[in-house]
Amino acid sequence: MYGKGILKGLSVTWKRFWDTYTEDISWMLSGKKRYYTEEGIKHRASKHTKGIFTVQYPEEQLIQPEEFRYVPFLVYDEGAEGKKEVRCTSCGICAKVCPPQCIWIVRSNDPNTGRPIPEPTEFYIDADVCMNCGFCAEYCPFDAIIMDHDFDIASYTRNVYGMDKLLKPASYYKNIRPENYERNDAERKAKEAARAAKAAAKPAAPAS
Amino acid sequence: MNTDRIVVNMGPHHPSTHGVFRAALTLDGETIVGLKPVVGYLHRNHDKIGERNTFLQNMPYTDRLDYFNSMSNNLGYAITVEKLMNIPVAERAEYIRVIMAELSRVQNHLVFIGMLLNDLGAMYTPALYAFEERELILDIFEAVSGARMMCNYLRFGGVVRDIPPYVMQKIKDLVTDRLPAKTDEMERLLSENEVFVSRLKGVRVVDAETAIKYSVTGPVLRAAGVPYDLRRADPYSIYDRFDFDVAVRQNGDMMDNYLIRLDEIRQSLRILEQAVKQIPDGPINSQKPAYQVRVPAGEAYGRIESPKGELAFYVVSNGKPNPWRYHVRPASFVNITCLEQMCIGTKIADFVALLGMLDIVMGELDR
Repeated sequence: MYGKGILKGLSVTWKRFWDTYTEDISWMLSGKKRYYTEEGIKHRASKHTKGIFTVQYPEEQLIQPEEFRYVPFLVYDEGAEGKKEVRCTSCGICAKVCPPQCIWIVRSNDPNTGRPIPEPTEFYIDADVCMNCGFCAEYCPFDAIIMDHDFDIASYTRNVYGMDKLLKPASYYKNIRPENYERNDAERKAKEAARAAKAAAKPAAPAS
Repeated sequence: MNTDRIVVNMGPHHPSTHGVFRAALTLDGETIVGLKPVVGYLHRNHDKIGERNTFLQNMPYTDRLDYFNSMSNNLGYAITVEKLMNIPVAERAEYIRVIMAELSRVQNHLVFIGMLLNDLGAMYTPALYAFEERELILDIFEAVSGARMMCNYLRFGGVVRDIPPYVMQKIKDLVTDRLPAKTDEMERLLSENEVFVSRLKGVRVVDAETAIKYSVTGPVLRAAGVPYDLRRADPYSIYDRFDFDVAVRQNGDMMDNYLIRLDEIRQSLRILEQAVKQIPDGPINSQKPAYQVRVPAGEAYGRIESPKGELAFYVVSNGKPNPWRYHVRPASFVNITCLEQMCIGTKIADFVALLGMLDIVMGELDR
């Protein structure tokens, strides 16, 4: 019969149409909220989702997985009296590995001795050039540069980020990437313990 | 009646040309008698940039070739450089790579079907149905790699990070429960629709002889009756361990080109099912993470069956940190050379569909 295929196809769209409403109604009847709740968003990103499962951005947003990466930031540890202990040692690996070359570091020198000290005076990331590949965070030996989760950075000006905008506390890092933070923290502690053990085992250096 | 030929310029900003592609068509009445594809509007010097970058830095750039299948592109580049470096790939990473490559094939073909219908005038409904499933697959990519489309997930010798258990569960759910049902639903929605069938059936795309002559690869070639699939013809990675059939159709008309995509989705799901079952535990990279990989001098040519056809990379190293020569053989670019042959003699109304059949992506075509 001519038109059978069309009707068959229409049954799919028809089912989809009703699925959206039955889904909404069944959620309503069970007293749960399908929209604007974490549970609802999670359900709409699972295999069970039926009908239309649009997430109503920006009122509700998809839950970002931990590994989500956007323009990186610099981590500092909160020292005593709110002192910012920047983890970065300005070794320059991030700038070297960056594919679009959007990282610019100015190393600092001790004003008295002129010797380099392991902290950057200036650190720039051109967020307009950054391709969010995550290499800088991946290959940083000090976990000093981490990919951010903050993605809505549209602005009227160029987004060249300096230290003032890049520096974020370790607590923020822990907040957005708990698992990575735990892993890194354990590694750092192990490294420190190993260093301390080595220093203790080494006999006192002979006076020269 | 005496008629003049008329030249119609389609693109570069035509809604159906999948990006900034231009075609200068010569028409005799409604019939196409000549076609000149004009490419290069999205040219961004990919091959030359590849020679400036170090080997590792090229990885995120390959994402931007065929941006629907960044996982496949990563795979192609990774196996080429691994060939050159002569290093093994971690066992678990091989499975992860296959899972990711096949998932990207599934979503690519689904979007292809949706977009084909978009070109044929069934605006949005099939395309958005396809995008729904794609969304769930992209969620997986995002959770493992950090980005939905620009994955940058593979490294030489393995992958960058392991699949978390909850994502593995999600992949299993999709592969066993959801995607087969949704593929059937797509078939129910379209395959018997009389309007759709009358538009596609019997409209020649390309015959086997011409396709081979023009080096056409991928589903277009297989729909013409040539069972040529690199996963079988020249097995790379671990494809020789899986049980699947090379999808092939005989007629080479538009309907077969559409149906073969559904066949390939089903075969991909078969591979995925086996892969998620067999995936072993273990390390995910055979190498230590290093931002500067040591690549000995030499040359390597690696090719994979990307969803759009044969994607190959040619890399020459002279022992320096960056490749001396880096060349991409993209499926879209080689397939488009056949477009004129495909279109001559058909009506202009079919041109848009024929272009859609080639499944071009401008990021890959212009590089």
